[in-house]
Amino acid sequence: MTELLGYSGGLLVPGHHVLPPLTVALVAGVLLPRALARSHWAHRTPRLALTVWTLLGLSLITSVSLAALQVPLPTASSHHLSRFTEACIVSGGADCGPLLPNGPAGVDTRVWAALVAAAAVPAAFAVAFARELLSARRLRLRHAELLRLVGSRRPELRATVLEHDTPAVYCLPGRASQVVVSSGALEVLTGQQVTAVLEHERAHIAGRHHLLVAAAGAFGALFRGLPLARLAHTEVALLLEMAADDRALRRCSRDALATALYAVASGQAPHMAFAAGGPSAVLRMRRILTPQDTYSPTLRTVFVALSAAAALTPLVLACCSVPGITG
Amino acid sequence: MRRLGDLEAEIMDRLWRWGRPATVREIVNDINRMRPVAYTTVMTVADILHRKGLLRREKAGRAWLYEPERSREEYTAALMQDALGNTEDRQAALQRFVEHMSPEDVSALAAALRAMGRVPGSAEEPGAPS
Repeated sequence: MTELLGYSGGLLVPGHHVLPPLTVALVAGVLLPRALARSHWAHRTPRLALTVWTLLGLSLITSVSLAALQVPLPTASSHHLSRFTEACIVSGGADCGPLLPNGPAGVDTRVWAALVAAAAVPAAFAVAFARELLSARRLRLRHAELLRLVGSRRPELRATVLEHDTPAVYCLPGRASQVVVSSGALEVLTGQQVTAVLEHERAHIAGRHHLLVAAAGAFGALFRGLPLARLAHTEVALLLEMAADDRALRRCSRDALATALYAVASGQAPHMAFAAGGPSAVLRMRRILTPQDTYSPTLRTVFVALSAAAALTPLVLACCSVPGITG
Repeated sequence: MRRLGDLEAEIMDRLWRWGRPATVREIVNDINRMRPVAYTTVMTVADILHRKGLLRREKAGRAWLYEPERSREEYTAALMQDALGNTEDRQAALQRFVEHMSPEDVSALAAALRAMGRVPGSAEEPGAPS
């Protein structure tokens, strides 16, 4: 691995360690997301596709963090830990050599600067993620508070009913989760369709889908403009709907779910001035009505392997190039 | 013991049904027909509702007259706005069965349903239980 990274051939360009993580960032942040958003298998196996999106996100964060780590570093210090790790592996842990050759006092300030820069990237994501979660939770609490006053619990549906003519079905995920259905929806839906939509919403709750929505939102805020962030935002939302559809189909017929989708959408349309999610509902509809045969798994396997590699590479790189210490 | 939230709902429900301002005493008497509840408890919860901006009140002699700030329908409409609206922040907070769509998109949906040999209006066909 170290040969590949270019320091064996006497090519000791300062900062050459920045290149590998940047390459991974390019692959995980631009190339793979574009291919994934276009791929056919993703919609057939939404849960697998969601795993791949998550891997791509992790890989982007680690590779950008690694790149940030390398920028302020003197080249010599970049190599100490790789030698230390190699020595450890070769000797089976018996003779690793000193981790801090010059003692703690010998640690270059630039190394500290690099470590801080590297930690800033995942920290920024953690902050953005927490902010998404908290603002969503605040909204939900306010919503739930009013809902408790005007909604009526229906134990036989395991849902809260809101008296309103417009059909609406949604859930409040998280702690004190609940499914809400409007009286208008109960009016236009048959018994089987009601089961279908409620199962769909319960799948969101059981799968804790709001966490992935928040993660995608945080990603979008942090890496705005990057294809991964832009595409993940819409694709993750759609894939979560598809995953919930799949789970609902365990308990209801394809017909019931598909016609319920149409009944709710067509009941809402005249009431709303503007609209979004149209095409995605059509994609869902086709998918619900077409039994999913297993698609040629080759491309899918290649994809999962690539994204797993993209997620792992930064870690391998880290072992080979994390700065120990000047030495 | 019931949670305070349930009592909040019971108080609001009565004031909406009566459609006129009422004192804590009237509310307590009405709830007491179903179950025992302490005057001070209802008074505390009414005060909480007032501080949350859900009830407004004015002095009538020595007691407070409470009245809902907004109608039940207005609050329901606000919740539906949350549920159907398409603002970004709502997306993370609530998860909807289907995003609202333009009439053109709904036609596309109906076409997709027909293309699969299904009848879009089957939900409203006679004989279907509702």
